[in-house]
Amino acid sequence: MIKVQFFSLLRMLLKQERIELSAIEGETVAQLLARLQKQLPTPFLHKLLDDDGRMHAGTIILVNRHNIHHLQGLQTPLNDNDVVAMFPPGAGG
Amino acid sequence: MNKGWKGQLLRVDLTAGTCKIEALNEEWAKAYVGGRGLASKYLCEEISPDVDPMSPKNKLIMATGPLTGTYGAANGRYMVVTKSPLTGTIASSNSGGYFPSELKYAGFDMIIFEGKSKHPVYLQIRDGKAELVGAVHLWGKSTNETEDAILSEFHGDAKIACIGSAGEIGVHYACIVNDKHRAAGRSGVGMVMGSKNLKAVAVRGTGGVQVANPKAYRDAALEAYGMLKENPVTGQGLGALGTPVLVNVMNQSGGLPTRNAQTGTFEGAEEISGETLASTYLKRNKSCMGCIISCGRVTKIVDNKYAGDGEGPEYETLWAIGAACGISDLAAITKANYICNEAGMDTITFGATIGCAMELFEKGLVSEKEIGMSLNFGDSDAMVKLAEMTAKGEGFGKKIGLGSYRLAESYGAPELSMSVKKLEFPAYDARAVQGMGLEYATSNRGACHVRGYLISPEILGLPEKLDPQETEGKAGWLKIFQDFTAVVDSSGVCLFTTFGIGVPQFTKFCNAATGTDMSEEDLLVAGDRIYNRERMFNLKAGIDPSQDKLPKRMLEEPLPDGPHQGQVSKLPKMLPDYYKVRGWGKDGIPTEAKLQSLGLS
Repeated sequence: MIKVQFFSLLRMLLKQERIELSAIEGETVAQLLARLQKQLPTPFLHKLLDDDGRMHAGTIILVNRHNIHHLQGLQTPLNDNDVVAMFPPGAGG
Repeated sequence: MNKGWKGQLLRVDLTAGTCKIEALNEEWAKAYVGGRGLASKYLCEEISPDVDPMSPKNKLIMATGPLTGTYGAANGRYMVVTKSPLTGTIASSNSGGYFPSELKYAGFDMIIFEGKSKHPVYLQIRDGKAELVGAVHLWGKSTNETEDAILSEFHGDAKIACIGSAGEIGVHYACIVNDKHRAAGRSGVGMVMGSKNLKAVAVRGTGGVQVANPKAYRDAALEAYGMLKENPVTGQGLGALGTPVLVNVMNQSGGLPTRNAQTGTFEGAEEISGETLASTYLKRNKSCMGCIISCGRVTKIVDNKYAGDGEGPEYETLWAIGAACGISDLAAITKANYICNEAGMDTITFGATIGCAMELFEKGLVSEKEIGMSLNFGDSDAMVKLAEMTAKGEGFGKKIGLGSYRLAESYGAPELSMSVKKLEFPAYDARAVQGMGLEYATSNRGACHVRGYLISPEILGLPEKLDPQETEGKAGWLKIFQDFTAVVDSSGVCLFTTFGIGVPQFTKFCNAATGTDMSEEDLLVAGDRIYNRERMFNLKAGIDPSQDKLPKRMLEEPLPDGPHQGQVSKLPKMLPDYYKVRGWGKDGIPTEAKLQSLGLS
């Protein structure tokens, strides 16, 4: 299973904190996002990605707490039992 | 005097009980932008850096910037500049709300307080006229009570900055609270105000602020508004969730210092997160003067032993009183936040000091008998009780009021204070975010996040994502962030605007407001000048470069958990780069050539 956690405005938009999906061998983060969008009734990808499918500046996607910017970006492969955390751009301090 | 400015400052001699109006130094205003920079210049010219911060010879300066009180972005800020009793460094604390703009509308860019009053007083300003009046009846009152009492004397029509009990009794991290819920929070500026027997400043102003080039200013404002509204952070995120959105971000990223920074993740983070706050105690958001970001949190707790209402907690508070103490009771954190606001105490240093005391207790270095209660990590009742005791200066609360360094040192364990230059670091672990550790070590007021917020690129990915474990290039990033932040603080604009607008927009604003013709580079050079001016004050005050360091824990104890498990701060690798990028000698002292290039020699 892949555990997906929604945070910040994404959680408010989707009105749910998390979802579990079956793992698909060789699936990437980009493919997971596309699969999630098909499964969820509320459009949400625009919170994370631009029209060309690239991450907005400030979007944070973590796989097992590691930012995919420092892995393979949206092409980061996923494995069974991975935890994916998603934050739309946000800040504070 | 150029537009943007009112062109005059108010000098208040508390010893003599007099108020005198002086022309603002135009040359200095141009070289130092305003606010933080200009006040630092005045402070350096008027006091000896080795002055005792609690002496009448120390001065307290409240300074607006050329953009304060104008429309455009979030232009309602001011700075309080003095020598800090907590750190011994130059202190400059920033606040928003409505008081700063009102000061300009009353005709003053700046107030310089000097000397010490024999009796409690407060300053009344009504449209260019100022007088000191007795404040014995206000002494001992909370910040809320003080504001209400003064408002009644102004028929409800004034903006007020004041101290609470913390500033009166010498809590080393007392702040100055304005508009009830905004605070010049860090470095103990409220303790200096209290030492002068100055309880409050109340201002009523009906004037405005003129800009030199109204058309250019309007164009700059429209551009900035558009960018801030379009930006997902400033246009939506900060308004909806406020700064507390960072609790989950930092916890998931493994950089939320927990239980006095013994670990980098907190199992109770979700319970104290911005998302949880929004679905429980948050009533609405709130903005400062002319701000479209509206990040303020108006909260209320009912049906709970911690019932109350007020504003906050912000992210740093949720961390300090929460994760740093192992506390996940959001109601207790919120209640302690209210207590701190009403007493006028910096929540970051308060919470971090409680966390330090909890570790001292855990290690058996301080006894239950001495504290008057047990003080285990996670004990929210003890934490709230100690907030009350600190605000009143009772029992062990007196020791909590000294801040974590003096507390830990008194038990022979200064290394348990998570501080630099005696200022506690905020809610980011230097082992998980390398550049932020460099910022803590080199910030001119001690371990501070709002002098060079490298969390933005290292964690949030703004304006671009940097690897938080990379050290190469971080010195250069930090210098630009520190210099630009000095400009923003000095202009009178909220730092949060910089998530949406940058140097080009600030350059347009400053030029249109004051009629100058600065380039973007000129503005950053002014930031560099401000930074070096502050650095020189600290060096002359005896804060030498050996103090550019981090707590031993950050350097020698690897993070035990999270994605950065096994990491320590790589400060020794970054610090020489930083000195070089700054144009300082290898010894960390600005070279004569550097000072000359900035007009500081």
